[in-house]
Amino acid sequence: MIELQDFSVSFKSGTALRQASLAIRPGDRTGIVGESGSGKTMLAMSLMGMAPAAADLSGKLVLDGRDMTGADDRGWEALRARKVAMIFQEPMTALNPLRRVGDTVMDPLRLHLGLSKAEARARALALFEEVGIPSPVERLRQFPHELSGGQRQRVVIALALACDPELLIADEPTTALDANVALRIIDLLVRLAEERQMALLFISHDLAAVARATRDIVVMYGGDIVERGPTAEVLTTPRHPYTQGLLGARPNPVAEPRGADGKRPRLPTIPGSVPTLQDLPSGCRFSGRCPVELPVCAGTRPGSTLISATRLANCHALKQEVSA
Amino acid sequence: MKTRLPVNFLIGAVLVALVLGAAALSLVWTPHDFAQMNIKAKFGPASSTYWLGTDQLGRDVVSQLMAAARNSMTVALAAVLIGGSIGTALGLLASAIGGWVEDLVMRIADIGFAFPALLFAIMLAAVFGPSLTNAVLAISFINIPVFARVARASANQVWTREYVAAAQAAGLNRAVISWDHILPNIGAAIIVQATIEFAVAILAEAALSYLGLGAQPPAPSWGRMLSEAQTLMYLAPQLAIYPGLCIVAAVLGFGLLGDGLRDITDPRLSRER
Amino acid sequence: MGYFLFRRTLGFVLTLFAVSVVVFAVMNVLPGDPALTILGLDATEDALAALREQLGLNDPLLTRYVHWVWNALHGDFGISHSFGIPVAGLIGERLPMTISLAVSGMIFTVILALVMGIGAAANHRKPGDWGMMFISQLGIAIPAFWLSMLLVLLFAVKLRWLPPGGFAGWDDPVAAMRSLILPTVALALVQSSVLARVTRSSALEVMRQDFVRTARATGFSRRRILWRHVLPNALVPIVTIVGMQFAALVTGTIVIENVFYLPGLGRLIFQSISNRDLPTVQALVMLFAAIVVTANFIVDLLYVVIDPRLKARA
Repeated sequence: MIELQDFSVSFKSGTALRQASLAIRPGDRTGIVGESGSGKTMLAMSLMGMAPAAADLSGKLVLDGRDMTGADDRGWEALRARKVAMIFQEPMTALNPLRRVGDTVMDPLRLHLGLSKAEARARALALFEEVGIPSPVERLRQFPHELSGGQRQRVVIALALACDPELLIADEPTTALDANVALRIIDLLVRLAEERQMALLFISHDLAAVARATRDIVVMYGGDIVERGPTAEVLTTPRHPYTQGLLGARPNPVAEPRGADGKRPRLPTIPGSVPTLQDLPSGCRFSGRCPVELPVCAGTRPGSTLISATRLANCHALKQEVSA
Repeated sequence: MKTRLPVNFLIGAVLVALVLGAAALSLVWTPHDFAQMNIKAKFGPASSTYWLGTDQLGRDVVSQLMAAARNSMTVALAAVLIGGSIGTALGLLASAIGGWVEDLVMRIADIGFAFPALLFAIMLAAVFGPSLTNAVLAISFINIPVFARVARASANQVWTREYVAAAQAAGLNRAVISWDHILPNIGAAIIVQATIEFAVAILAEAALSYLGLGAQPPAPSWGRMLSEAQTLMYLAPQLAIYPGLCIVAAVLGFGLLGDGLRDITDPRLSRER
Repeated sequence: MGYFLFRRTLGFVLTLFAVSVVVFAVMNVLPGDPALTILGLDATEDALAALREQLGLNDPLLTRYVHWVWNALHGDFGISHSFGIPVAGLIGERLPMTISLAVSGMIFTVILALVMGIGAAANHRKPGDWGMMFISQLGIAIPAFWLSMLLVLLFAVKLRWLPPGGFAGWDDPVAAMRSLILPTVALALVQSSVLARVTRSSALEVMRQDFVRTARATGFSRRRILWRHVLPNALVPIVTIVGMQFAALVTGTIVIENVFYLPGLGRLIFQSISNRDLPTVQALVMLFAAIVVTANFIVDLLYVVIDPRLKARA
């Protein structure tokens, strides 16, 4: 349904997304993880046709059987909301503060589906019920500042679902929420995806959230996809050195008991920091920070290595290990 | 490190230099005596003697424009100095004392905003008769609340800094701190505001003189030249052009210079303006 | 909400009171003898004494102030010396002229500024934006009275499309409208330059916000988002400036009426100054200051209408 083939996003200063290939089918729930600067948001925005104007797109981005790489605003506007929809990190600011939330949700219904005001209102009401907003009739008439963060995020989800999209992109949808509220929002997204046979692309740096929300995972670093496979497998037995570092850096107070001195062991961290766009190495993006780096890594980009029928990783060291 | 000066600053600086240069030059030299009438040469065209021609009384237009520049600069300078120093002092006072004094000063400043310079000048003119002094007073008066607000807002920020706390801990009183520490630190904001208000003052003087509430004949003023030219618009439309261009150049110059200075001193404030 | 209204209204009344004190003080307390001002230096002592009595100048200042305010609140601004009729009647006669000019100027200003400002923001960092910034920079620097003269030179003297000034009354509405075109344009071009810049920067600020991205993500075109989402949110700072500009516009009418010889309050003020008609000047200055204060008060109230978040806090 949605397919990226060698899709790249580059700027004058460097390449933010390098030859990404990805296919999303109806009902897929795919997570994208990576640090900031890994290109995961650029990937999401590209799928919405909302990459920055200065960006140079190449490769193939096939949506609904059409290559949208060179599509203009008008072409994208027709697909947004109906084919792909997106929810954002910050529910506090994602809604127009001067519009009643009901009107905001009714806007795309009236624009894209040509519903009358009454029809749109009935639809919005049903959507509010579907996403679990209590007393939806009253909520329709309220302004964003009158709702809690969790409720606002539910409104944003209702807005995204309004025109029955085939793919819902959620960009850090729970980062700004309380842990407790975040869990319920994740469960809501999973339920909606299953009930509607809708694909879900869940972007986060929170591995626990991704583990709960998705079946498959894509790990990104420096604009490259470095590892992919079923979420449970990748998170338990990571094979790419970056994924291993990322999981090691994850604070897990339960799994790591306190030492004899009462202190928790120091968190393993990945040495160094993500380079800026113009300083990215031309070969493997992770070279320079990688603990198992080979001489070949800095200059040559690693190809995909098949680990199992469903798992891939891009790493020179891993390739040697597997072929040996 | 070499920083590039903003374009508005450069254009403003050039225009201001031209206007100030003409005003300064008029102190020692003008092509002719600006008040020298020559009825035989009235409405003269531009020539090698009279570069921009002569007016209805045969006076040289260039000389009048230069003398009027001096008048305009003097009025603006006086008004900004008077209004600026009183306003800044009030703002510093309000910030230093705080509490109800601050509230009171700011409320009074708000009331000051209800009086555009024109209204104030009208009152003064009605009581004392129109004069350039009244115009200066009126423009000074409207500058007081403007500077009081800017000074207080910037001073309140400086009062929270550590070196001010240190000075207070050292037992310096608030008046001394205001003078030694606060004033130098709000200087940039005050100078930026003064440059912008300079432009406003030039515009106000021109309007007041045009309406007969400012410079009185034969004192040269761009505004007054325009009001004389208006009655002669069918005869000599060119006389209605030059003084206006001078006003625009001066106002534009100081306005751009002020914006440019603000860009340089506080890039945050002006990014998108 | 009630408390907010009460506080704002109280502030408004107090400001009006303070303004009336200032006007009264400048016109009455400053050294100078109004009777002498009115009658001139060659007046006889008897005539001066009689006029002082008539003006109530022999009463204590406080009594005179209270009288003035009390009467003014009842629509009595005293008798005009030069016209010999009540000032209130004079004002009533001239008010429609000034109001028509101010209102048409304001409408034109707002429309022009919104179109220019939003248009510039939509074309940010493109030639349209630069052009607007350049024109508005010029517009701010041009004195309204000179712009008026240029308009007269072009449209009245050269092209002879419109009258250069004067006003023949409302009996012929077409002629009346024609007389108002140039004054309105002169008033509005200068004012809208400031407003257009505020609109532009306010709109740019809003365009960076998340909900604009949300609207894009739901398939709305930039143009629709501009009018439906950006403009309403950009309106708060715009309304502030509009309030201040209405004040500037009303005093601007004083200048413009004098440029175009329009028989409004602005002309009346100047006639009164040259006739040394102090009660009329005092009443008119107070009226203009009151309009300015009222405009700012209305702006304060408008915020609450525009922004529902303020309603909750107010």
